[in-house]
Amino acid sequence: MQVKVWGARGSVPAPGPHMNRYGGNTSCVQVTLAGGEELILDAGTGIRTAGIDLQRGRRIHILLTHLHLDHIQGLMFFPPCFRADTEITIWGPASPEASLEDRIARYISAPLSPVEVRELPCSVSFRDTPVTEWELGGATIRAEAVTHRGPTLGYRLIDGETTLAYVPDHEPALGASLAALEPEWISGFDLARGADLLIHDCQYADDEYPAHAGWGHSGLSDTLTFARRVEARRLLLFHHDPLHSDEFLDDFGATAKQAWQTLGRDATELELGMEGSELSVGPPVPAVHA
Amino acid sequence: MSSPRSQKPLELILARNLLTSISTPAFLLDADAAVVFYNEAAAAVLGRSFEEAGRMSSEQWTETFGPFGKDGAPLDVDGMATTEAIRAGRPAHGTFTIRAANGERISIEASAFPIVASEHGSSGAMILFWPLSENGGGG
Repeated sequence: MQVKVWGARGSVPAPGPHMNRYGGNTSCVQVTLAGGEELILDAGTGIRTAGIDLQRGRRIHILLTHLHLDHIQGLMFFPPCFRADTEITIWGPASPEASLEDRIARYISAPLSPVEVRELPCSVSFRDTPVTEWELGGATIRAEAVTHRGPTLGYRLIDGETTLAYVPDHEPALGASLAALEPEWISGFDLARGADLLIHDCQYADDEYPAHAGWGHSGLSDTLTFARRVEARRLLLFHHDPLHSDEFLDDFGATAKQAWQTLGRDATELELGMEGSELSVGPPVPAVHA
Repeated sequence: MSSPRSQKPLELILARNLLTSISTPAFLLDADAAVVFYNEAAAAVLGRSFEEAGRMSSEQWTETFGPFGKDGAPLDVDGMATTEAIRAGRPAHGTFTIRAANGERISIEASAFPIVASEHGSSGAMILFWPLSENGGGG
């Protein structure tokens, strides 16, 4: 499985000279499955550049975790939306209040947009994520609600022996002690359990978190504790705060690696999400015995 | 590699987080009416922590803590109006007698709120209770 990060920023795009290395585009991750099929996780502003290189005439699946603007803002600028030979299926959380299409159309409609969903040249359909696992492009997908503000999903993608967990907006420690709680009471635990790569919210440094408790995002220590509890093999810190510059994130990454080692893990297992970075994800290599 | 679902529904997780953070005695039922959590304030009334007691089926709960009628006999929880209301997805309120771990009988007033998820229906109920003082007011 190949994973490419097109946007790792949280909350709002943060362009600027001090943000160039980690990038200012909001959440978007492209996953290429072993069979060559591609899935796109979230449609933040990073999806615009992701769409430029996608082959024409392909069926595209976009899996939305939720409908906050930083996860859908790029949809209207996604080049395949303007190709008549493209079929796009958008998956997202169900709501008793309105259909997924109607909720997204609140953004892709006047006065916020010059075009309406029905005017898009591509063939686009909207699907609520099933309650049970389902198959997409040869992978098994599971979506489950996680702790964030508003209806929000995390995803677990299983492609052969490889498992990716994507939980970009998540505050599992809200009112809970992650270190001591039984797994069944930890939001997102089953989604992330034993993942070969866990892409997880880490918006705040520990000293920033108390002022943002309840905003739906995690501080560093909580993210690391969650990742350790679920026994993720690799961890990609994601959804960077828009105020965090490249210099800040360099230091933040060093702190994170040190803390990860303190938890008994290897510093090479942890990375910060960086726009344009590509990761090969696979299952553990079995030990060879002489 | 697929994995079995063992996790509690998010709405129960959030309810537990809330109950953990408040000083009103409260417990949490799952969709099978088992007591899956009660908070420290409830533990102070019951005389036993949840960590000691663990998950209890409705039968185990009734046998241990009640509720009991005015005559002191255990109530048939299944037949109670409050139980029927919760099962129907409605809130309920009532006055009961429970028995703490030390055997002391305590009158309580309880309000139950069903937890119904849009995705998969009933997940359980959250029950807040107040010990009544001897003159009948909230203690």
